[in-house]
Amino acid sequence: MTIPRPDIGEDAKAADALAPTFYVICWNDPVNLMTYVTHVFMKLFGWEREQAQQHMLEVHEKGKSVLAREGAEKAEFYVHELQKYKLHATMEPAE
Amino acid sequence: MKLLRQSPNRWQYQLPANEAAILRGLVKKFPFTPVGPARISRHRDARTAEREELLAEALAAQREELKRLAADLLVEARWKESSRGHLLTLSGESREILLQILNDIRLGCWHALGEPESLAPPLTKKDLVFRHLMDLAGYFESNLLEPEDHPDQ
Repeated sequence: MTIPRPDIGEDAKAADALAPTFYVICWNDPVNLMTYVTHVFMKLFGWEREQAQQHMLEVHEKGKSVLAREGAEKAEFYVHELQKYKLHATMEPAE
Repeated sequence: MKLLRQSPNRWQYQLPANEAAILRGLVKKFPFTPVGPARISRHRDARTAEREELLAEALAAQREELKRLAADLLVEARWKESSRGHLLTLSGESREILLQILNDIRLGCWHALGEPESLAPPLTKKDLVFRHLMDLAGYFESNLLEPEDHPDQ
């Protein structure tokens, strides 16, 4: 079965390609529990435990981890959600 | 604190009476973190201030909502007394709320201790209180997350 693709015009495609993207970054802190950070990543990004733990360990060992690269709106959403869980997260321009 | 039963949207824990009293006491302390400036990016551009205003509004709204939900966590119906202490029943959502509340207490204590990189032995009686609260919140957080941390058990 073929899934019908949305009819996206050339202009829209070009606009999307030009839209700025942002890295969603989680920074290390000495207080959030490692199990808690893993839990939050699984919850927000829908990741399996292994992937969430990899990012958590990267935060812990390297000081930060890039969790996603998204357009402004979605990056903002992720930062809001991560900060609601009291994780130190920011969005930084990808270019 | 021990997980007795778990189904997709129902978690039941057993707590000795003293642990139940401590956990309820922690929930009553919410919110514990200070309201600080919302920072959304280390990079400043024309839209940063607007984004930070939206973030601050979202965090304030969530704080108010969690206050309401914290009160709901304390209702007697959730805490059934049994011969071995108390039975605490949580939905998936209320478990998530309890985790966020406990983490707020933990972070609030860390702020009160001066945001140290590593935790030195407390020097003052006040610091000792914050350290105890921080450890207690961490203890309950770990217990709530333990079945996830050891999924095969």
